[in-house]
This record gives sequence, C-alpha cells and structure tokens, in this order.
Amino acid sequence: MRALDITDLVKRYPTGTEALRGISLSIETGEFFGLLGPNGAGKSTLIHCSTGLAQPTAGSIEIFGNDAIDHYEEARLAVGLAPQDLNLDWFLTAEETLDYHGGYFGMPKRERRERTKELLDAFSLTEKRNDRTRTLSGGMKRRLILARALMHRPRLLILDEPTAGVDVELRLELWRYVQQINDEGTTILLTTHYLEEAERLCDRIAFIYDGQIVAQGTSQELASEFGAASLEDAYLELVGRMELSRAKPEEIAP
Amino acid sequence: MTASQIRFFALVRREVNRFFKIKRQTLGAPLLETFLYISVFGAALGTRIDTLQGVDYVVFIIPGLILMAWAINAFSNNSSSILQQKFQRAIDDQLSSPASPMQLLLAFSLGGFLRGMIVATLTFIASSILVGIPVENVHVLLPALFLVGFFFSQLGVLVGVRAEQFDDVSFAQTFVLQPLIFLGGVFYSASLLPEPFQTLTHFDPVYYMISLVRYGFLGISEVNVPLSLLVLTLATLTLFMVNHRLFVRGYKLRA
Repeated sequence: MRALDITDLVKRYPTGTEALRGISLSIETGEFFGLLGPNGAGKSTLIHCSTGLAQPTAGSIEIFGNDAIDHYEEARLAVGLAPQDLNLDWFLTAEETLDYHGGYFGMPKRERRERTKELLDAFSLTEKRNDRTRTLSGGMKRRLILARALMHRPRLLILDEPTAGVDVELRLELWRYVQQINDEGTTILLTTHYLEEAERLCDRIAFIYDGQIVAQGTSQELASEFGAASLEDAYLELVGRMELSRAKPEEIAP
Repeated sequence: MTASQIRFFALVRREVNRFFKIKRQTLGAPLLETFLYISVFGAALGTRIDTLQGVDYVVFIIPGLILMAWAINAFSNNSSSILQQKFQRAIDDQLSSPASPMQLLLAFSLGGFLRGMIVATLTFIASSILVGIPVENVHVLLPALFLVGFFFSQLGVLVGVRAEQFDDVSFAQTFVLQPLIFLGGVFYSASLLPEPFQTLTHFDPVYYMISLVRYGFLGISEVNVPLSLLVLTLATLTLFMVNHRLFVRGYKLRA
C-alpha cells in the first residue's frame, strides 16, 4: 500500500501565485523519501496540503488509502508533522505539549501518560518536562517538536527541514532518531535542502522546482539521469537548467 | 470516552489551562476592575444618586457589571488566544489534528465563555455578600447571561480569526466593544438620558442585553423581554454560523 499518493495537486493562492502546479507523487509504505528543492519551490506547501494546513485548489491526496482533503480523519490520524518552524505553544510545558497533542489525536489518558514518559526519555527531555516550552533551548525545542510529531504513533512522519539551522551535533542526533524510526517501520517524508542529508537518509528522492516534480529516483539514478558524478552535481545541474529556462521546465528533461 | 470526545475535551482543556496559567491577568485583574467600579460608582457616586427605578444605585449597576465582566472576558480571551496561537503558529497542532471545524470552533468559544462565567460568578457571589443582590427572574437571567456569554465568545473568535496583529484585537475591544457596553446603560438608565441620546441608545444592541440581565436580577426592564431574548438568540446563532463557515473554509487559519 502507498503511504502517500498525490495526484495532479494544484495549489493556487488568492494572490494568483501557483505554488504547486499539478504535482503527482507516490511514496511506498516504509520508504524514507526525500523532497529536495530550493526555497520557494513548493516543498512546504506540498506538506501543508497533505496535513490540512493548506487547502488544495485541485487534485487528490490519499494517505494509506484514505482521502486527506475532504474526509480527512483517518488520514490525519496516520500522519505526524514536525514543521520547520519551532511552533510550540508558549503556555504549555514540555509534558503538556505531548499530552495535549495526544488528546487532539484521541489517545486515552493512560496511553498518553505512558507515551509521554517514553518520548521524554527517548529525547532526553525528562528533566525539562515541567519547563514551559519558551524556556527550552533551540535544540530541545527541535527534539520536542519531533517527539510531538511521534506522540500519536503516526505511520507517516513528515519532517519539514528538521535540521535547518541546527548545530552539527544535534543534526547527527536527529539523523540517528529518524533513521531508527524508519527502521522500525514508519514511512518518512523529509524535505530538506541539505543534499548530504537526503543522500544519507533517503531511499528515493524527488527534485521539486517551481511547483513541479522535475525528477525522482534513488540518488544514483538521479546522478546518472543528469550525467553527474553525485547527487549534488545532479541537483546543481538541474537548478542551473531551470534558472535558464524558468518558464518551461518540462522542456529541459535530460 | 470516544476518541472524538477525548479530542474535544483536550481542545477545551488547552483553552482553560491557558487562562488559568495567567490567572492574575485573566481572572484577578477583571475581578479587581469590577470591584473598583462597584466602589467608585456604587459606594462613592451612589451616595449622591440614592435610588434608580426604585432600587439602590449600587444594586442597580451590579447586573450590568456582571454582564460586562462576562462579555469582555469572553471576548478578550478568545480573540487573544486565537491570535497568539496564529502568531506562534502553535495553532497548526490543532489544525492538523483530526478535529472537525465544529470541534475547533466550540473549543475556542468555550475557553472565553468559561473564563467570563468564572469572573461573572465570582462577581455575583461577592456582590451578594457585600450588598445583597436579588434574583427575581431566574428563567430569564440564566438564558440571557448564557446567550450574552456565548455571543461575545463568538465575537472574540471572529475578531481573533480575522486579526493579523495585536492592534486589531485591542482596536475592536477599545473602540467598539467597550463604548457599546458603557453606552448601553451599565451605569445608568437610558430613560434618564436627554434626546437624542435616549433614542440613540436604542440602536446599541448591548442596551437590550443589559436590560434583559437587569430584568433577570431586579425584575425591572425598559425593553420587551421575550422579543429581546429572541433577537439575542438569533444574533448569537447567526454569529456562530458565520464563524463555523470561516472555520470550514479555514479563513486566515489555513493557507
């Protein structure tokens, strides 16, 4: 079964800006999938459409076979989102952050309590459990956001640039976490513009540019498709071509 | 409890937890403000005014103060809570959950409704102890207060959803809500005003709300009670439906 199945997805904002221009994308269950693209390419919009934070203009999104747009309850139960922004509620403690999130996803009290303890331990936040989120360090906030996304045991974890702006030590720590989560069976969609991150973690990668998926495959397949020695060279080659021909990206396939 | 009930309860708990965490500001300050009004207008000014419509002045103003406490707290809680969460994008956690637009709207509404109810109840208890306040028509008082609380909760939600900066919320509260409440007759009877102010007061919707609540407590009214209740019910329902529509559309909540 496909974890995520997006067909002809269009997102047009009221200003007329078309952030997604008919994207189709499939991610298989258990896959670690990377979405690479420059700023403004449409990565976050695609994620927001998949998680209910943006309303698609056209197209369909299915998560484990469930509609994620109109009859979204089952689809949303299956998804955990760790957004790029540190969007924690300042009024809550670390423990409350996880407990409320579990509540929003319908978890009974005992299950919430056990899962909260487990995640606070796993992410080395137990000592800070009663601290309000605004007092946590940047690294702790990032770990808490990942713990929150995992609270309701999602089958699809969406990570929107989880390592943007974090130090090397935390980046390696986060990589270990997410690799372990994937090994345990959770499907992961990762957006990043760190090529090393995508190459190291992802089974398959898609390049998104100007609201369209312009190439996808394993890093080796992408490199060979673009006649490049590495994923980085393939990406730079692609972005270079796109910049030269922004208006008609479909005409510049290798 | 079903998953849906747990979800709704968690959403409401979040709203209640928020105002209890800053209770000096959200509960203490409004209570103090209400008692200052009672002291200044009731005790000090009241000694000069004696009675209004046959009741002591301090007793006359308390129903309006109870309404004002409920209305302003319901409004400011919901408008601030929603705007703060939008501002931090913390609201995305609720919006990306399986909660329905109806659950989200009701939970955001109940936060302010309950805060207003707590402040209003404490004001009523303290007023009863200090000056003794009658309850003449409980069958009108309870629906009137609940409708007023829910109406201003909805108004707070509407302003919070539409607001893009904190100035938008304070503008609505300072330049629209407070003048309507003060000029609606909290501290005086509209029948005492000279024309054209007496007639103008009849265009202030809060005037009818205060009259209903005053009728509930004191048994005196300047308005048609059943008609005012009906209009208040319809206005509250209309506002609720408008908000529900906004939540379904994701207006200024979802991109």
